[in-house]
Parts: sequence; C-alpha cells; structure tokens
Amino acid sequence: MNAERTSHPEEPAYPPCKSACPILTDAREYIQLIAERKYDEAYAAIRRQNPLPGVCGRICTHPCEAVCKRGQVGEPIAIAALKRFSCDGPRRQPYQAILPEAPTGHAVAVIGSGPAGLSAAHDLALLGHHVTIFETLPVLGGMLRVGVPEYRLPKDVVEQEIQTILDLGIEVKTGVRIGEEITLADLFEKGYGAVFLAVGAHKDRKLGIPGEEALEGVVAAVSFLRGISEGKAPEVGRRVAVIGGGNTAVDSARSALRLGSEAVTMVYRRSKEEMPAAREEIEEAIEEGIEIAYLTSPVEILGTHGRVSGLKCIETALGDADAGGRRSPKPVPGSEFVLDVNMVIAAIGQAPESSCFGDDLEVSAQGNRIVAKDPETLATSIPGVFAGGDAVTGPATAIKAIAAGQRAARAIDLYLKRTSEDASESAGDVRPQEISGPVMEKTRRFARSRPPRVPVRDRLRDFGEVVSVLSEDLATQEALRCLHCHLGARVDQEACVSCLTCVRICPLQIPKANKMGEITIDPVDCQACGMCAMECPVRAIDIRLHSGVEILAQLEEAIGQSRFAGPLIVGFFDLHGTFGVEDLENLRENYPGIVPVTVFGLRRIDTTHMLRAFEFGAAGVFLAACPDDRDPFPETRDRIKRRVAHTAVLTELLGLGKGRVEILEMPDKGLIDEKAIDELIQKIKEIGPSPLRV
Amino acid sequence: MITVEQKELEKILEMTKGRGRLLVLGCETCAAMSLAGGKKQAEELAVAIRVGRKQSKEEGEVVADAIARQCEPEFVALIEKEVASFDTVLSLACGAGVQLIAERFPDKVVIPGCNTSFLGVTEKLGVWSERCAGCGNCILDKTGGLCPIARCAKQLFNGPCGGSTNGKCEISKDVDCVWQLIIDRLTRLDRLEALEEIFPVKDWSPAGHGGPRRVVREDLEP
Repeated sequence: MNAERTSHPEEPAYPPCKSACPILTDAREYIQLIAERKYDEAYAAIRRQNPLPGVCGRICTHPCEAVCKRGQVGEPIAIAALKRFSCDGPRRQPYQAILPEAPTGHAVAVIGSGPAGLSAAHDLALLGHHVTIFETLPVLGGMLRVGVPEYRLPKDVVEQEIQTILDLGIEVKTGVRIGEEITLADLFEKGYGAVFLAVGAHKDRKLGIPGEEALEGVVAAVSFLRGISEGKAPEVGRRVAVIGGGNTAVDSARSALRLGSEAVTMVYRRSKEEMPAAREEIEEAIEEGIEIAYLTSPVEILGTHGRVSGLKCIETALGDADAGGRRSPKPVPGSEFVLDVNMVIAAIGQAPESSCFGDDLEVSAQGNRIVAKDPETLATSIPGVFAGGDAVTGPATAIKAIAAGQRAARAIDLYLKRTSEDASESAGDVRPQEISGPVMEKTRRFARSRPPRVPVRDRLRDFGEVVSVLSEDLATQEALRCLHCHLGARVDQEACVSCLTCVRICPLQIPKANKMGEITIDPVDCQACGMCAMECPVRAIDIRLHSGVEILAQLEEAIGQSRFAGPLIVGFFDLHGTFGVEDLENLRENYPGIVPVTVFGLRRIDTTHMLRAFEFGAAGVFLAACPDDRDPFPETRDRIKRRVAHTAVLTELLGLGKGRVEILEMPDKGLIDEKAIDELIQKIKEIGPSPLRV
Repeated sequence: MITVEQKELEKILEMTKGRGRLLVLGCETCAAMSLAGGKKQAEELAVAIRVGRKQSKEEGEVVADAIARQCEPEFVALIEKEVASFDTVLSLACGAGVQLIAERFPDKVVIPGCNTSFLGVTEKLGVWSERCAGCGNCILDKTGGLCPIARCAKQLFNGPCGGSTNGKCEISKDVDCVWQLIIDRLTRLDRLEALEEIFPVKDWSPAGHGGPRRVVREDLEP
C-alpha cells in the first residue's frame, strides 16, 4: 500500500510529544519499547538522540507531558520518569555507542561544559571533528554540576554521562577562562576552525535594594549553590528568606533547609500561576515545609550589628501585561510588613559573563546576553563564533540548551565544510490534537504511575536523591497507557469496498462512512487497537502499531529459533499483563517448549495467526489474556474468545485432534499460572506431537 | 447485496482433496461484504487447507488471492496468467462468479467455496436477511415497500393466509408475517384501500420460471 496516498490528509507530521520537544524526541519509540520489555533498545533509542538521558530523566521540564494526548483522558504519560527508567531500569547489555566518523581535520573549541557545550561537543566529535572543551571551573557540567542540587541530580549521574561523552575522544581543559588568558582571536590562531560559546548564565542579578551590599547574611543563589556543590557547607540562618520564583530559588530554599535552617520563606512578586519553577519542585518544596509568600516584593534588608535581622516587604497586585507578556506587579501602598529572617538569598535571575569576549561580540542590552544573529545557525557577530544555551537565552532549561548545542554542532559542521545543505529535521507545529468527545468518554482511564519519593521526614537530613526510579511493573504499566498517536489505522480507499465492518467493530466507534461509502478514520482519535485492520475482509486497513504482518514475522522467527526437540507450544502473551523481563527469561528457561510471542493486546491475534503457528510446526497454541482491569479494550474479550473457539473447531476438523488451542488467564502478577501451563503441556503431550513438524 | 455463506470446512476439504495446485480465489464485493469470501477469508482458508494437507501428507501448493468481482469478464481476464499455473480454483464468489471463472477457464477444475443464499439487507454486523426474490416485476409500490414474494412463505399476493398469528408466519415465530407488515405499513400511510385492487395471476417468466433470464440494453450495448 502506498503510504503517502493513504495518509489521512489532516494527520500532522509529528505526534504532540515530538513537536513539543526542543530536540524532537519521539517519546513513542522508547515508550513502546518499554512496553515490549525491551529496555536495552529503549535506552539506545533515547541515547542516539540525547547525550544526557539520565540528567533529562531527572530534571527535564518535560514540555512533552504538557501536550501528551493521554492528558485529555486522564493524566499525561510520565514521559520523564520513563526516560529515567530506560537509564536506571533492568538493562541486560551495555549500550553500544555510535562510533565517530573519520577525522575531518578540523578543530572546534567549545567554551563551557554545561548541557549546551556537552551536546555540541558530543555531536561535533561524532561528525569527526577534533573538539576541545574549555571550562573555567575545575569540574565539568556547568549548572548540572554546580547549580542543580544533588537531591535532584546526583553528581555521579552527571559525571558518568559526561565521561561517556568524553570517551568519544574529546579534549578537556579545566581551570581556563577564555577571554582572559586566551582570547577568541588566540583560539583561531591556534588552529581552531570555529568556536562555540556555551558559557551559561552564572552571574547573579542584584536585588538593588538597601542593605544588599552592606549586611552579612545576604547571599546570591548561584554562589550559594556552587558552594554546596563544592562540598563546603555554607552557614545558613535559622530563618531564611529566598527572593525569586524560579527553579534556582526553589533549589536555594530546599538546600537551605537541608543545611539546617528551621524556617524558609520564598518571596515572589507574582502569583502562584505565574511562578516559573517546575510544578513538581514547588510541590516538593511545600511538602518540606517551605512557605511561599506570593504577590510580595522585597523593599529593604534590615540589619542589626552588621547582620541581617529582617526583610522589609510590600504586597503587590498584578497590573497589565508587560512587554514579555507577564502581568506587572504593582506595589500596594501601605501594605509593608517585615519578615523575621536572619539570612536572605537572592535568586532573581542570572546573566552570562559576556564582557570578556571583546567588543566585536554583539551582546544584548537585556542582561548582557550574547546575540545569536542567526537563530537557525546560532552564528554571532564574529565569523566562526557561535553561541547557544543560557548565554544567549538567559536562564532556561537543560533540554533547550541541549537543543542549542545540537543545532550549533550542525551549523558549525556545515560552516567548516563550507556547505549549506542541512538534512536535519525541522520542527513541527504544535497543533492542538483534540480527541473528540464521544471517544474521550469511551476511553478507559488508568492511574498514572508515580515514582517512589523519600518521605519528607527523611529527606532533610542530607542531599540524598528524593525521587527514585519507577519499579519495572509501574514503568511497564505506565508505558502501556500511551495512546500511540499516529500509529493507528489507515484505510486504502482504492481497496475499500465500503462493507462497513470497521465502522461496526471499532470499540471507540471512530471510523465514519459518508453516503458514498468513503471511510475516514480520524488519526487523532484512533488508538491503534487493531480490531478494524484485523476484521477488514479485503485487507484495506493498515495498522501501524504492531501489524498482523509484524506479528507473523515475530511468530516465524520465534518458532525458528527454538531448539527444543519436544512438542512446541506457541503462547501469545498480552503485553498488558503485569510481568517483567525476568519473568520472560524464567519462562524460556523453565519451559523451553513454550514459544512466547508478546503482543499489544490479544485482539491482534487472528485465526490465521493461530493456524500459521500450526503450519510452522507448533503442537499447541494458547492465548494468555491479561487481567481484566489492565485491558484498555475489555469489550473485545468476548470476540477474542469466539475466535479461539472457532480456531479450535477448525484444527479439529483439519485432523489435528481436539484441544490444541486454548485461551488462558494470566495471573494478577506474573506471566503464567504454572499449574495451568503444566496442565496444558500435559494435555498436548497426550494428544500427541504435531503431525506437521518436520 | 447477494449474501453468501462459506461452506463447511469438511466439505471444502473433501472437494479439494487430491486436486493438486490450488488457488483460493476471493471476491471483494458481495462475498467480502458477507464476511465469507473476501481476501481475509481466502487467506484463512488457504492456511487451513495447507495445514490439512500437511497433516494428511498431501502434495500441492495452496495460494490465496482475490479480485474485485468475479462476475466481470475484465477482472477475470486479469488473472488469466495466474490461474494457468494452478490445477484447481476454489472460488469464494457467489454462484455467478464461480460460473464465470469456470467459463473463462474451462480446462481447470473450479469448485465453489460458498453457498449463495439470497438478495438481502444487513440487519447488524453478522446478520443478514432476505428481501428480494428477483422476480423481475417489482410490485413494491402496491405493497408499501414490503415484498410478499421474497418474504411470504407461500408467496401470496392478496393478503395473509389463515396461518398468520400475532403478526408471525405459521412456519416460525421468528418470521414476521409480511402481509401483516404490509397492512400495518399501508395503514400508517393511509393507503389501505390499495389492497382492494386484486393482483392478477402472475406471469412468472420474468422471475426465471420460463428459463434463464438475460437483460439487454440496446441503448448501451456496443
């Protein structure tokens, strides 16, 4: 079937998760692999595109989750948590890294070793360029290492991922500040063909209120967090005020608690809705007892004997939107009050250190951000110098920095090769893809899996990681909640005979026929259950998730690989059961005569599949049904039972004997009920080996 | 549509036994809509026959295919080369399709895989019922859109027989008495007096009782 001709004309190019991701990650790919219990492949799928998966699985702001279609019928998929599971879950094989291409002879200097610099260095190294990372600090990682606290992102995770990147042959020079000992011009003279400025934004913005400079006990967030990362335990006040509403402010507040503060209050000048910090961060902060004073602005830091003794604040009200689109806070006259604190942490934003690169580098008036004159290539005002990440955008997110690093690497590669051909993917539009009302009502809901978190009372003792990885069962269940956007059914209009079978059989009543018999299947509504593709009498429907053709190939391969001399019994197992990769391994070991074929729902198994199993030499076939409460389409179970009964009748008529085809129930937990399987094996033995086995 | 039903597997195995290279040919119109003879059903049947042959150690490849309609010479012509390589064709089409295949390939054994039932409508998925007997002289205008030839067990023309009870035919309580339905419909349309016109004795030649029928459109034929 010609794929182009059969695409529904309104199907967007990308699923919502991919469109929303700054690096166009197709979350469906690894989520499907997790559901298939293929964890090595899931990790490889992520790592091919993202050099920092462990980092992202922990601290990404996951814009994909905000647009995930599952969010319209329940909660969105916990995509970030599944990414983390891919990294930390039960993998069996070490990751086979992609090897770099042959050396190009070009050298690139990457200034800064945060996520932007690291991803640029990684991609450039893979393209065959010699890369040197210059980093001012003695450690690599940028904000990942010296900004984000360890209870969110442990050091060793960062160090491990960085080392894997460096293993591509990247040179590193720490303790070097470009712009001081070595200028940009020096770099070009030394033979570097291009420079990527990824210095981040590490300079704290000043509050600009009285008391800021003179008093002891006023600290800037970045230096506070950096001190913690260096292993020094900075002194904290008994009562602390943190000014700001972003992640850095929350990081500072939660860190202060862990260092011994008794009471921490965040002071934020807008309301809860406008607060830019991640929702999970704010939730955890509140759980830990941090107070948040919304619509409050600092006016003056009060002191006694040269030390902070209080923070004078004023209440604010939100006025009209400013140039950035956010509503402006206006102080409410006469609403001043004093917060009783003896330490103030200022976390109101950061700016890059950009003055050291010379006057030729254009820098914006807004926070000294480096200007990327071309947003596509990230080229700056100096030829051969590119810039990206927080240094250009101001404080943003790790995934955006990674995206910038990847874009810069592509641009630098083209620049060095003096071509302008760019084969990279372009961003899709994030069109809203709304499920229609009736389908929403009929879609079964399942609870979202939550990763385990350390109870609050145990959290504040140290900087141990608060959130752990999902268990295998929770991860696979979560992955199975995916609605498989754009992997659903497509009708070949030329082959279709308008028999209306698909219209009648769909559990969600999605296919619609017009009066001329043309069938349309809304690709946004379709959840790829496979029923219509299965039942179409003229095979005019193609299902992209786990098609009948794929299943046949799986079946043939599985039987072909078996070395068991005795009777083979093919078992079709519904992936919606609660079982792990170890259960599959145990099955193969303890029951070598059972050939397992895992499928996204038994509704994909047709009479033809079962008969083919016999044709390939199986002595018996069973379908293992998942527990009722895990089945997204429980209304199809009856039809599946009838299919199995029909196949049993056929096999008997064909002279294979009675009882070779059955449907079994999977236990609530695990792959098989051993007693039932033993009984089945015994029964098949009694009927006799397959007369078709060569 | 013409409704067809697949024959029992035992019968099909019996008919195809020892018949060498076998083509299981589906038809993608009425047979497919009856969910009995489309490509899917042809494939399933082909696998079943292969399994059966392997079991009984019988030689002969079994292949499945389908064409849009087996009652059109152009479609049948398109598979001429393909059919040449087979010994036997198991056609899943209605009787008309089976016969055109046999006519076009007179040197091949052509076997019907389905029984052709009736001209009917779909009630719901998997359920069809008879509506038209193909009598060649439609009187539905006089009976409020209900056919006493197809739906009356006695094919009566002038009202129900004495066996009609509570709106059901005397042959079975699952069969509606179509004359009751006609009376109810004409009453609803305020046209019950139409039944006062007595139907004359029917000439059954247009219904095929005088021999096989043929339609010729002089304005269309080349």
